[in-house]
Amino acid sequence: MSRPGLLLPLLGFLFLSLGCAAAPPKKDYSAFRAADPRSILIVPVVNNTTNVEAPGLFLSTLPIPVAERGFYVFPVNMVKGVLENEGLSDPNLVHTADTARLCNLFGADAVLYVSIEAWTAKYMVINTEVTVEFDYVMKDGKTGDTIWKERRRVVSNSSDGAQDPLSPLVMAVIAKAYPNYMPLARNANSRVFTAPGIGLPAGPRHKEYGNPADSGK
Amino acid sequence: MTVRRFSFLLLAAFAAAASAGCAPKTAYLWGDYDSVLYAHYANPQDSERYLERLGQIVQKAEVEKDKVPPGLYAEYGYALFEAGRLDEAIVYYRKEREEWEESRVFMDKMIRNTQRLKENRPGPAPGGELPPPAGTTPGAAPAVEAK
Repeated sequence: MSRPGLLLPLLGFLFLSLGCAAAPPKKDYSAFRAADPRSILIVPVVNNTTNVEAPGLFLSTLPIPVAERGFYVFPVNMVKGVLENEGLSDPNLVHTADTARLCNLFGADAVLYVSIEAWTAKYMVINTEVTVEFDYVMKDGKTGDTIWKERRRVVSNSSDGAQDPLSPLVMAVIAKAYPNYMPLARNANSRVFTAPGIGLPAGPRHKEYGNPADSGK
Repeated sequence: MTVRRFSFLLLAAFAAAASAGCAPKTAYLWGDYDSVLYAHYANPQDSERYLERLGQIVQKAEVEKDKVPPGLYAEYGYALFEAGRLDEAIVYYRKEREEWEESRVFMDKMIRNTQRLKENRPGPAPGGELPPPAGTTPGAAPAVEAK
């Protein structure tokens, strides 16, 4: 009779630990590791929303987190300018162009393609619900194969930020007039690029590079 | 008592060190690069301010960290190029090339193209005048030539 008494907590423990391990579904990093990119070309983002400012604003949030993972990141604004002069001012054209040819132009090992799937503010009585969603795909410069991808949606309510004790209503009105997307965009990037089991494995310029325990930490 | 006191102090010191480690620490000194880009896209007319702020980031990183983040020498060089300051642009493309070997293919092309453009352009750049928008002047574009 002592067996079930022991088994139950054991089972419970097993279940719990399984639950923890299962939380971030482990990615298959074999293609990424085989490609082993050192330099990443971040091309202008495709905008699948109606907000015309979103692509430029979002592009500005990308180079820092990717470079901090240990990769050389090409200067995003310069890349944008050069592509425009190459006749590729429409990001959709860049995203559908041949990856190997694109990498060849810049001497890049891989390309990061990002598209904006949502960038909206839903206005309610006193607060604003802001939603952003991004789709990230990295392709190998030699084969053109996808070596890493992720999708992230972040929703926030501006009333969270309206904690000013003096004038919460004024703060809410300001937030309503100018919804701030940038913290949400940074939040999405931070999770996508650095979360264990999800993010990018450390690149050659990162101290954890080559560590087998580092699976996109 | 003293041992316990000592171990408590040690623990406190460790906790302080650990929490300091938790503060957002970056490998490079980026300054406000993302905000500068953000402002540039939000207000593209103000290219002078963009150039000035990029220059400040580059200078600060050189002085304080002895290492300019990847891409920033080139980004600044390109802003100089767009302002018509071709000689200075080449200087910064070269710095990027020296600092980051991953950039060599791209920088070599840009240096070559900028030099060619310089030779084709008689006289010094008109003071502070910006080049025409991309694509309006054939040959003025810093096009990356295909191999």
